[in-house]
Amino acid sequence: MKVSMQWLGRYVDLTDIKAETLADKLTLAGLEVEGVDPIAQGSNLVIGEVVFCEAHPQSDHLSITKVNVGDEILDIVCGAPNVALGQKVIVAKVGAVLPEITIKASNIKGQASNGMICSLLELGVNPKALSDDQKNGIEVLDASLEVGQEALHALGLDDVILDIKQTPNRSDFNALWSVAYEVGALLDREVKLPWQKDFAQKGSKSDLVIASETAKCPLIYGKKIGQVSIKASPIWMRRDLEAVGMKSINNVVDISNYVMLETGQPLHFYDGAKLPKMEIIVKDGLNESITTLDGSDLPLDVQDIVITSNNQAIGLAGIMGGEDSKIDEQTTSLVIEAAQFSPSQIRHTSRRVNLLTEASQRFVKGLDPQSIIKALDRATELLVEHADAQLIEETVCCGEVSKDLLKVSVHLQHINDLLGTKVSLETAMDIFTRLQFTPVEKDSWIECTIPSTRLDISVAEDLIEEVGRFIGYADLKGSLPLMPTTQGSYDARQAMRQRLRQHSVGFGLNEVITYSLVHEDKTKMGVYPLENPASLLSPLSEERRFIRNNLLASMLETVAYNQAHKIKDFGIFEVSNLNTIAVNQERYAFVLSGQVERSIWQKQVYPYDYYAAKGIVERLLSELGVNLSRVRFENNEASTFFHPLRSAIVKIDNKIFGVIGEIHPKLAKAQDVSNVVMGELIIEQLLSMKLAKVRFTPVNKMPAVVRDIALVVDEAIQVSEIEKVIKAVSKDRIQSVQIFDVYQGDKVETGKKSIALKIVYQANDHTLSEEEITQLYTNTIEACKKGLNAQLRIA
Amino acid sequence: MENVLNEGLLAIEVCQNLTDLQNVRNAYLSKKGLVQQLMGKMKDLSAEDKPAYGAQVNQIKQSLESAFKLKEEALQEAAFDVQLQKGRIDLSLPSAMPLVGTLHPLTIVQSEIEQFFMGMGYLVKEGPEVELDYYNFERANIPQDHPARDMQDTFYINAEWLLRTHTTAIQTRTLEAYKGEIPVKVICPGKVFRKDDDDATHSHQFVQIEGLVVGIKISLADLKGTLELLAKHLFGESRVIRFRPSYFQFTEPSVEVDVSCHICNGKGCSTCKQSGWIEILGAGMVHPNVLRMAGFDPEKVSGFAFGLGVERVALLKYGIDDIRHLYTNDLRFLSNFRRFE
Repeated sequence: MKVSMQWLGRYVDLTDIKAETLADKLTLAGLEVEGVDPIAQGSNLVIGEVVFCEAHPQSDHLSITKVNVGDEILDIVCGAPNVALGQKVIVAKVGAVLPEITIKASNIKGQASNGMICSLLELGVNPKALSDDQKNGIEVLDASLEVGQEALHALGLDDVILDIKQTPNRSDFNALWSVAYEVGALLDREVKLPWQKDFAQKGSKSDLVIASETAKCPLIYGKKIGQVSIKASPIWMRRDLEAVGMKSINNVVDISNYVMLETGQPLHFYDGAKLPKMEIIVKDGLNESITTLDGSDLPLDVQDIVITSNNQAIGLAGIMGGEDSKIDEQTTSLVIEAAQFSPSQIRHTSRRVNLLTEASQRFVKGLDPQSIIKALDRATELLVEHADAQLIEETVCCGEVSKDLLKVSVHLQHINDLLGTKVSLETAMDIFTRLQFTPVEKDSWIECTIPSTRLDISVAEDLIEEVGRFIGYADLKGSLPLMPTTQGSYDARQAMRQRLRQHSVGFGLNEVITYSLVHEDKTKMGVYPLENPASLLSPLSEERRFIRNNLLASMLETVAYNQAHKIKDFGIFEVSNLNTIAVNQERYAFVLSGQVERSIWQKQVYPYDYYAAKGIVERLLSELGVNLSRVRFENNEASTFFHPLRSAIVKIDNKIFGVIGEIHPKLAKAQDVSNVVMGELIIEQLLSMKLAKVRFTPVNKMPAVVRDIALVVDEAIQVSEIEKVIKAVSKDRIQSVQIFDVYQGDKVETGKKSIALKIVYQANDHTLSEEEITQLYTNTIEACKKGLNAQLRIA
Repeated sequence: MENVLNEGLLAIEVCQNLTDLQNVRNAYLSKKGLVQQLMGKMKDLSAEDKPAYGAQVNQIKQSLESAFKLKEEALQEAAFDVQLQKGRIDLSLPSAMPLVGTLHPLTIVQSEIEQFFMGMGYLVKEGPEVELDYYNFERANIPQDHPARDMQDTFYINAEWLLRTHTTAIQTRTLEAYKGEIPVKVICPGKVFRKDDDDATHSHQFVQIEGLVVGIKISLADLKGTLELLAKHLFGESRVIRFRPSYFQFTEPSVEVDVSCHICNGKGCSTCKQSGWIEILGAGMVHPNVLRMAGFDPEKVSGFAFGLGVERVALLKYGIDDIRHLYTNDLRFLSNFRRFE
C-alpha cells in the first residue's frame, strides 16, 4: 500500500525523521518498503499570478503572459490551452530542474520566455491521481495562495510516498491508522488518531431497514443521513487522496474513500433518494445482472453476495456499487452501508468478474471486526464537518460487533528457545506494551490481549515473532543445530541419476532441461507415453496444457531450435521423471544430431547413427551394472515415431526398457529436424533390477589364439545370430567374437552378405594344442554352415 | 696376414651404411671370406707352426669382429637419428580433443547445494510433481480459501490434484513419513509450477530446494548459522546474510534472507539495485500447526525450514540476464557451463 509521510505524520510525529530512515526501520521490522518516492519534484518553483495574458501573434496555440512571482514579473510564453488572466499558477523559474527538463531563458517565436508555468504532470505527480484537465493543462491553484512562496511546500507536494509491500497476514495495514500504530510502536512514540468515539451513535429514529439473508454477510450496519451538500473536498483531503494516487471526486465520495484508507473499512454511500425503498437487504442466490458504478454490465452468479433494495440489485457486495443509486452532483441525502463479507466469496466473485477494487482487496484480506464502528464514527464526523450533514438518523444494524479480545500467552523461555536469544523479561514486556498488547506477566508467563486489528496473532509463536522483529535480527548470532550426527547421502534413485548425468557428459552429451508442460499432440507420440496424461484446468496456453508423458516429444523442440540456429552437430540428454496422477516414472532420453567431428583433418569424423545410439545405451547399461548379455535390440517395424527399419526396442531380461533409433523421416519433416537419432529409456526399471556388483576376476594367463574367418550368409541373417551360433561351439574356449567387416556388393551373390569375424580361442587352464585349435576352428565353420547356411569366403 | 687385418679395419672404417658394412663383413668373415682363406692355408703348414699360425688368424678374426660390432652400433645409431628426424610433425595442427558435454547450469547449482547439505548430514528427499492439494496446501498450513492462496497461482488438474507450487509439498510428505521421529534433517529439491507468464524474471516452471530440520530446541539462530554457511559456500567466504521479518504460512516466525551482494561486496550496484543486499531465500521456524498435523508435538520439538529458487542462484552466480535462457537450451548458452568448479 502507498503511505504518504505527511498524512501519516498527522497521527504520529515524524517531523524529525527522514523517509529513508523510516523505510529502513519498517523494512527490517517486516514491512518491506519497496519504494520511497517523492510525489513531485522540482527546484526553483514558486507560486505566481498571471497578470497579463494574450495570444502569441505567431502561433495558434501559444500565449504570451506576464507572471508576478512576488519579487519580479516574468515574461513567459505558455503552451497550455487553459492559461488565463488572474490565475494562480506554479512557476518554474530559470534554472529550475524538473524530472524531465531544466528551465532556461529562451525566445519562442520572437517572444522572450523566462520560465515555465507547470502542470502537475511536469512535476512528476502520479497521473493516476490527475484528471484529464490536469494532465492536459497547467495546474490552476486556489486563489487564496500567496504569490512568491515556494510552490511544493505551499501545495503539500513536498511529500514522500512509502510503497509498502503488504504480507497477506497483516490485513491491518489496509488501514493507515494501523500503520500509524506500528510506526508509533517502532519509534516508541505516541499515536493520536482523529477518532471521536461513538460520534455515529447519535441520531434520530430511523426508518431504514437493514438485513442480511446470507451467512456470507454476518454483519451489516446502515445509517441514513437526511441532508448533505455536494461540493469540492477540503484541500487537505484532496491533497492526501491525490498523494496516494486516488482521484478527488467530490466531498462525499472522497470522505468514503478517505475513511476506507484510514480505517481499512470499505464504506458504500448510496444516494438516499435513488434507493428503490428505504431498505438494504444482503442476499445471495440471485441470477440476474447488475450495472456497476463504472458502467459495466456484470452477470451475477448464484454464489455472489448482492446488496438489494426492494428486490432490486443495487450493488455487488464488497466489490462495486450499482450505477442506479450512485452519488452525483444532485445528491441530497445518503445511506451509508458498512459490512463484513466472506473474504473467500469476495475473492471468488472478484476473480470471476475480473474486478480488483480498493474495497474488494480489503474484504479479501480480512477486516478488523471493530472497523465498522470506527469507520461510521469517522465518516459521520467528516460529513458533518465537510458536507453539512444534517438530519442524521441512528445507526441500524444486523448482527453484532464482537467486543471480545483474544488473549494469547507465551513463556519467556519459549521466546528465547525459539529465537536462540537471551531477551530479558523487561524487553519482552516493553515490546508488547508498545504494541498495545497490554501484557500481564506472572512467573515469566506473559499474557497479551490482542487488539482487534491484529488478526494475524493467535498463537504463542506469533508473539515470539513480534519480539523477534522488534529486537531486530541484525544481532542474532548464528549457530548450528545441536543434534545427533546423521549421514547425508543420495538415495538409489538420486545416485543413479547423478551417475547417468556424469557418464552422459563424458560421452559428449549436453544436459538439457525442457518444460514439463506440453501441447496435447506431444502426449500422443514418443516412446511408450504414459497412459492418461494429466491436463490442466486452466493452462497458460494450449501449448502448455498437458503434463508430458514422454521425454523425446518435447526434446525435439530443443533440437529444432538449435538446428534452426545453424547448430547441426550435437548430442543432448535429459533425465526427468514423468508424472500422471497414477504414475511417477524416471526416464532418460537423448538425441544425437549430425556427426561427431573429433579431428576433421585427420578424417576423425563419426556419424551419429543408430549404432552410436546403441553404443550409448550399451555403455550406460554396462556402467550401471547391467550385463549386456541381458540386453536385446528387437525390431520396431510398427513405429511411426522412429524409422521402422532403423530403430530397435531395447529389452532387458526380455522386458521393454526403451526404444532407440533414427527418427521417422515423416516426423522429422513435421518437426523440422534432420539427421536425428534418439532414444528414450525407462530407467525407473533399473531401480528394481538386479545389478552386477564390481568383482575381481583373475586374469587369464594362458595364450590366446586368434583366427579370422569370413562368412557369406543370407542378408536377412542378423549378426547377433552368427555370434550366438559361434559362441555356442564352446562356452569356455571361445573368449570373444568380433565383427570387423560387413560387405555387400558385387563380390558376393545378390541377397547375400559377407561378414568377417575375429575369433579368440583361449582356455583358462592350459595352452591350447594345435589339434585342439584346429578342432575348434573346424567345429566353428561346421556350426556356421549348418546353423546359418553360411559359406566360407575365400578372399 | 698383417695386410688382411689392416685393410679389413680400413674397409670397416670407411663404411657409410649398414649395407656396405655387411658387404665388408661378408668379404672378410663369411665362410669363403678372407679370414677363412687365411685359415685354409693352415693345412700347408708343419705341425709345430700350426698352433702359432692359428692363434694369429684367430686374433685377426676377433679384432675384425669387434671392429664390425662397434661400427655397426655407430651406424645403427646414426640411422636411428636420421629416422627420428623424419618423424617431425606440425605441432600447431588442431588437436583431436576428446568430446565432452556439459551439465545443465540448474543441475550444477542444484548438485552444489545438495553436496553442501549432504556434507552436513542432510538426506535428499523428493516427491511427485503431480501432487495432492492436501500436501501442497492443507498440510502446509494453507487451508481452503485462505488469502495466502492468492500468492500462488496454481495449475489445478482437478479439485484434488495439482502441479505442486512449491517443494513444501515434499516437506509435508517427509514430515508425515517420519511419524514424529527426530531428528529430521532433509533437503527437498524439485521442479515446481506456477501460473506465471514467462518473462525475463518469471518462469511457469522452476526448481526449488527447501530444507527442513526438526529436533529438540532448534532455533532461529540455528537457521541463521546454517544459511550463513550456505551463502558463503555459494557466493564466497566474505558473504554475510541478514534476516528481514516476513510472512509464510508454513513458518512462524518467518524471515526473508538477504545475502550481501557478491558483485559489489555490499557497496551497491545494479545487480543488488544499489541496496548492497540480494534477496535469496525465504525461511522461518516451522509453524506449530504444521508440526502438529504431521504428528509432532510442538511443545517438545521445534524446527526450521528454508526455501530457495535454484534459477535465482544460477542467474546471480553466473550473471545470466534472462531466466528463459535456462529453458531454451541453446547449445551455445549451455557450452558456457562446460568448465565448472
